[in-house]
Amino acid sequence: MQQILLAVDRFSTWFGKAFAWLVVVLTVLISVEVFSRYVLNRPHAWVLDAQIMLYGTLFMTAGAYTLSKNGHVRGDVLYGFFRPRTQASIDLVLYVVFFLPGIVALTWAGWTYANESLAIREQTFNADPLPVYPFKFVIPLAGALLLLQGVVEIVRCVVCLREGDWPSREEDVEEVDVEQLKEMVHVKDADIEALDKSLLPPAQRQEGA
Amino acid sequence: MKLPTLRKELWFGFTLMALLIAGALFMLAAAPVITNGHLGLLMLSLVVVAIMLGFPTAFTLMGMGIVFAFFAYHSEKQSAGGAITQTLDLMVQRAYAVMANDVLIAIPLFVFMGYLVERANLIEKLFKSLHLALARVPGSLGVATLVTCALFATATGIVGAVVTLMGLLALPAMLRAGYSVQLSAGAITAGGCLGILIPPSVLLIVYGATAGVSVVQLYAGAFFPGLMLAGLYIVYVIVVAKLKPQWAPPLSAAERIVPLPPQLERVGASADRRVLPVLLGALKGKRNHDVPTSYLLQQLFVALMPLLLFVVVSLWSYQTVTRVEPVEAASGLQQIGTGERYSPAAGGLQEPPAEGGLQEPPAEGGLQEPASEGGLQEPPSEGGLQEPPSGTLSEPPAGGGLSEPPGPAGVAAGPSAVAASAATSVPGADAATRQPAPPGFWIGLGAGALALAIYYLLLSFARLEIFKMLLSSFFPLLIMILAVLGSIVFGLATPTEAAAVGATGGFILAAAYRQLNLKMVKESVFLTAKTTAMVCWLFVGSAIFSAAFALLGGQELVERWVLGMNLSKTEFLIMSQVIIFILGWPLEWTEIIVIFMPIFIPLLDNFGVDPLFFGLLVAMNLQTAFLSPPVAMSAFYLKGVAPKHVTLNQIFAGMMPFMGIQVVAIFLLYQFPGIGLWLPQLLYK
Repeated sequence: MQQILLAVDRFSTWFGKAFAWLVVVLTVLISVEVFSRYVLNRPHAWVLDAQIMLYGTLFMTAGAYTLSKNGHVRGDVLYGFFRPRTQASIDLVLYVVFFLPGIVALTWAGWTYANESLAIREQTFNADPLPVYPFKFVIPLAGALLLLQGVVEIVRCVVCLREGDWPSREEDVEEVDVEQLKEMVHVKDADIEALDKSLLPPAQRQEGA
Repeated sequence: MKLPTLRKELWFGFTLMALLIAGALFMLAAAPVITNGHLGLLMLSLVVVAIMLGFPTAFTLMGMGIVFAFFAYHSEKQSAGGAITQTLDLMVQRAYAVMANDVLIAIPLFVFMGYLVERANLIEKLFKSLHLALARVPGSLGVATLVTCALFATATGIVGAVVTLMGLLALPAMLRAGYSVQLSAGAITAGGCLGILIPPSVLLIVYGATAGVSVVQLYAGAFFPGLMLAGLYIVYVIVVAKLKPQWAPPLSAAERIVPLPPQLERVGASADRRVLPVLLGALKGKRNHDVPTSYLLQQLFVALMPLLLFVVVSLWSYQTVTRVEPVEAASGLQQIGTGERYSPAAGGLQEPPAEGGLQEPPAEGGLQEPASEGGLQEPPSEGGLQEPPSGTLSEPPAGGGLSEPPGPAGVAAGPSAVAASAATSVPGADAATRQPAPPGFWIGLGAGALALAIYYLLLSFARLEIFKMLLSSFFPLLIMILAVLGSIVFGLATPTEAAAVGATGGFILAAAYRQLNLKMVKESVFLTAKTTAMVCWLFVGSAIFSAAFALLGGQELVERWVLGMNLSKTEFLIMSQVIIFILGWPLEWTEIIVIFMPIFIPLLDNFGVDPLFFGLLVAMNLQTAFLSPPVAMSAFYLKGVAPKHVTLNQIFAGMMPFMGIQVVAIFLLYQFPGIGLWLPQLLYK
């Protein structure tokens, strides 16, 4: 079971990470365009549309990746204090009540929406038009990925309810990775401990050590 | 031992939830007729409860949005099937609108820039150089911490990383120097949160996208309030250090020593000798003990950098200002855009008269002793200084001195040639074709010149070393931020373009610090994707949610209700800020902005409040939420890396005064809206 869950995680992650590189494309595209427009005085009309498409694709496809790493913002004031079983039951109910209808609707509606766009070969309203329909197909794609990942999350809730503990996830880059930051500024745990001892009043220092 | 605190948290949360639901039910019961609007309010209170339960907010909003949108359509005598179709249409259109939003597009780029800069790893150097540079200020370590935090937090915008890094670097330094735990912790946590407010911040983009306020104006508006807040923090630390020296003892002499490179010491440098005489003397060969001339020239170049900059900028601005048509606009721009970067030169920037001073050098007699010049025309002395080396270079200044940018030439030919060519070639011949410079210039030039003269009088070798350290840590970051911000605020580039160029700048910075590698880029890219997805999916959810809320007519009901209370403008502002402040406890800033701003913003018109001004108040307010116990995130980040005996309570206690300062800052901003509105009004009205 756990293997399947992790496999789906890896699939979502792979997809999200692949599209994550669009941010580099976006950076380069806009920087080049800035140079071309302001320095060479040669603007390209399609760049504006292209950058919006890159950004939209980037964040939509990253939705499932973020979910697989439990990265969507939650109000954790109380959540953090619940026991895993309580957490899992709340999550389970809300996944079924809010998540599934929402994402199913989004995927379904997105599919129709994109197909309509494809039928008329919709283009951007621009002097140098770009086709819009591939961009619109990102909605059902992102929806389907999320749905798949959502099902995995629901299974996780059930597993947690049965076993009383959350099944593990694979590691990923963290925004605040304390160990990595320590290495970056060359601080070792020993330094912090040494400092800690100096904080104690002299009398306690002996026992602290 | 842990249980009681858990209980307290849970009780607090459940009470809040119960109150919300009770309030909503009470309103439903009290209403004579239950309209759709009441359903809307019920939806609002339910969503807060659901969010507090801890389900990912984006999906809570989305799910609740479609359920209530369906109700809204269905209640309009629409068949169930038709209502479903309408709901689906609404949903996909709202989602697409977020995907095609040309304001939000700046978010991934700024976030990306932030991660790159963070990983460029210049914070260690930054902190060290600032703390040496500020060694004489009371509470120097605290002040250096705040300045480092402000700058680094502004460039990266990642509160957690800044607080953690400073917890690793500055906290040990301060504690070892005998600072009180509270003051140290407060300075770090408060400083780390400054990035929320000082542009380019993501919070302001999110607010701009939600409220339909121009991000450019928001950036311009938030700049001075942000600086004011940082300034107030610094003043507080200095005052504390003065009043209670035991909390923030001055650095011992040993800690202030700046090691000098051996080459310089061989030439006879010592910490308090002045740089220019020694270097020039060494160049002349008197005491040039096997130290390569190129090395000395390099040092001289660094030492003369402020002067070169002054010359370049004054020449350039002389051109701009004396050009006939766009005089005013252009001069205004430079004054602010470039002026702030280099305070010593600032006065002189607009003032081409620099030339005036420069032409005179030929008359100089006392070249050898620039320092003793009495500080009147510093440029002259420089001109003289170069003479020895420029003899060998002997570059006849080409015809139009003005049109020849001295900067590049100087870089190529060595520092001395620059000033020399500048000095000799600027003559007033050109001025005939140009407008004469206004008298204000000469004053500005004088001020700049005086500042430079004092600078060179005081420039000892220790200071030169500090200057070199700042040059490789402080200035690149500062220039990058100001360039990004300046190009946005002065309308040279859109926020998106500036953000993209900023991200490129992040690459360059990382490369310059030898930190650019595949692993680092990968991490930044993936983190960017996750952060962007988090924020933008929240937008997707809230777009659907607020559409449903509007469909149900909840907005009208809120409006009627608020207007019914007959509030004055002040009362309304206080009420809204208090509500936002309270919401800041259970919710994150992203949630507050995307869910509640659409409700507040339409009300502003009724009270004559500028949405821009409101946004600044909200940004300040939400920043306070980062420092308010018991949920203040920054405290937990700091606790994570602090020595064991630093308790969470000590950290909270240390944060309190800074929180008080924030309230004072909000009050000041409210009392004097000009602090925030002056710049946008100046630029865009």
